[in-house]
Amino acid sequence: MSTAFNPADVQGNILRGYRKPRVRYLMLEVTEPAAARRWLTASLSGGGVPQITTEEPWETKPDTCFNIGLTYQGLQALGLPAASLASFPTEFIEGMSKRAVKLGDAGPSAPENWDKPFNQPARIHLIASIYADDVARLDSLQRAVISEKWGLKLLEPARDGCCFNADYVHFNYADNISQPKFAEIHGTDSYQDWDSQPMAPLGTVLLGYPTNFEGLTWRVPQPEALGHNGSFNAFRVLEQDVVGFEEYLTSAADKLLVHGDADKLLPPGDEAKIGEGLSRRDALREVVAANMCGRWRNGVPLALSPDTPNPASPVSKTNFDYDAKSRCPYGAHIRRCNPRGAQIVQRVANHSRRLVRRGMPYGPAYVYDPSKPRDPNEPNRGLLGNFIGANLGAQFEAMSCDWLNLGLQDPRVTGSNDPLLGANEPATSWFDLPLPSGEPIRLRGLPRFVTTKGGAYTFLPSISAIKYLGSMSG
Amino acid sequence: MDGASNRANDGASDGGRLDRLVDWLPTTPLFKFIAARILVPIWAWRTPVKRLEGGPRPSVQPGDNVQRMMNLVMPLKDKSAVGRALAALAIAQNKDEIYAGLDNVGTVHFARFVIVADNICMFSVYDGDFTNYIRDFIVTIGSVFDAVVGLVEGGDKVIPSAERVDEFIDWVHDHDLFQVSDVATDILRDQEAVNGDTGAGNDDLRKLPRQLILQLNVNRNVSLGSGYRAYPGYSAAQVRQQFGVGW
Repeated sequence: MSTAFNPADVQGNILRGYRKPRVRYLMLEVTEPAAARRWLTASLSGGGVPQITTEEPWETKPDTCFNIGLTYQGLQALGLPAASLASFPTEFIEGMSKRAVKLGDAGPSAPENWDKPFNQPARIHLIASIYADDVARLDSLQRAVISEKWGLKLLEPARDGCCFNADYVHFNYADNISQPKFAEIHGTDSYQDWDSQPMAPLGTVLLGYPTNFEGLTWRVPQPEALGHNGSFNAFRVLEQDVVGFEEYLTSAADKLLVHGDADKLLPPGDEAKIGEGLSRRDALREVVAANMCGRWRNGVPLALSPDTPNPASPVSKTNFDYDAKSRCPYGAHIRRCNPRGAQIVQRVANHSRRLVRRGMPYGPAYVYDPSKPRDPNEPNRGLLGNFIGANLGAQFEAMSCDWLNLGLQDPRVTGSNDPLLGANEPATSWFDLPLPSGEPIRLRGLPRFVTTKGGAYTFLPSISAIKYLGSMSG
Repeated sequence: MDGASNRANDGASDGGRLDRLVDWLPTTPLFKFIAARILVPIWAWRTPVKRLEGGPRPSVQPGDNVQRMMNLVMPLKDKSAVGRALAALAIAQNKDEIYAGLDNVGTVHFARFVIVADNICMFSVYDGDFTNYIRDFIVTIGSVFDAVVGLVEGGDKVIPSAERVDEFIDWVHDHDLFQVSDVATDILRDQEAVNGDTGAGNDDLRKLPRQLILQLNVNRNVSLGSGYRAYPGYSAAQVRQQFGVGW
């Protein structure tokens, strides 16, 4: 097995973000295997279908990008032999909907409540993602992807994501800040200034390379041409209750206004540090929002700037860690999902569950107006997220079940869920705001702000794998 | 069986002679023989039953996700006193590594090794997700796993565990005992789920004995319930923190 890295063999949406303003996901069913296999071959060699974007460096950014992921049912439908199918990991074979409880997809997030077409997971064979600057291009690319002669049927509706305010996402946080970096892609120069976390080995996202665990290798689906340089993706449609979130911040701020210890959280007179002209109530709202995420809404990490989103001397947004005195809450979203070098219960797990995240919001921007009552016809908003890693079980699932929910990594948060993404129930949920003394103020009654509306585990095949699949007979 | 219990109910008012007869019949050696050796195999042949998966029931309740039971029963290759002694030796030789593993994995309350007949059994109480627990152990003390699993039937194909992580975890999961729910309707639900039956559940409790017998027919070793605790669920780290012994 060669461990030399060949970017031309890897799909381009794994190791870099295209930063196109629009994306569309097409959930496709293979209706004629032979035609669909010809389509796969054509996606690499011209012939009237969009060409797969690879990791090869480009001089000018292409107008459109195109990538694919295959579900287990998709591999089956294409005619992959049983022995090869059996070489895929259990969680991928079972699929996202079967792993629901592990992922916190229960109650309103349970697969039986998922939207079309995710309510029929077995029919989703292939998820094609197309990236472009405008809807017209997306439409023309979509027409090129799907046609009867290629044996692919679109399972309506397609899902569109769209940047509405640079790197800001719903709930109004700056996103797109931190990602694992790889020596083979990003080089090692100046990495130390970028991040104090160790550089991620390529095996974090690609199959066939050393992993985050010394001496441990993940099974590469067989044959080698199929598995090597592939990756796995947890595609998620995550609906965000933007109104509920802002309302919760207000109710939390109202409770803090009359809380005996709130002056320790935000000394009176410090409101302007949070934002110019903010009332005490609005400043407290921002303090709560920052603590829940672990970053102020402008992306500044609490770990480096616990008292203000606008520190006098600028701080890095990526180069930080959590020491024993860190004022970033143990339960804050970014700390739960990646505790970096913090003391955690599973000592061997630091840095081991990292993911590449590629997401784009859907739905129009939302501007909170406390004077307006909740509009019952509020449009749907959320995130189309891709959580990519070489091993879904060791990364995405491990992070989701033990850390994001349950909070096993730190006894001070065990039994609570992630304040932003967790499967929270107002009757039992809680979140601790740390005070400088270390003693927390406990917030309660957090509802579920994010509901899963669909998703699928997909295999992101390498270019060699797409060739291999296209050339299968039978 | 359904018919017999119906008749017993119907006959409840006829003075009891028939009741007593019906109650007595299953205690007779002939009836026991017919039930165990003829009736059950016929049932099993007519209604093939899938083996239910081992381990705790999936749950989103935090309290259900700490102090979970793993019950591995692994048949030794060498079914002699020598084979059993080798298993005993494998554990004793690795005592220090086991403690180091418990310390570094951080989510295990207790782990016990027991030899029962020709099986080496590993029983443990752990927090969180099963695959994370096993994976973290492979990372920390995979060599100990390898030493034990190498003595077990079918174990050779999943070691060394560090190179076959996914296969190893699946193999261990396959040896983890099914935990029979102590809620009668859950037993019926489990059976429906494994057969892919997602329709409305049938809560006819008269089906229970038959379902249980058929499951125990394919699942010889099971755990009854999921372990009973004397106090609510806490993680190992929470216990350590409360006692001030570090976590």
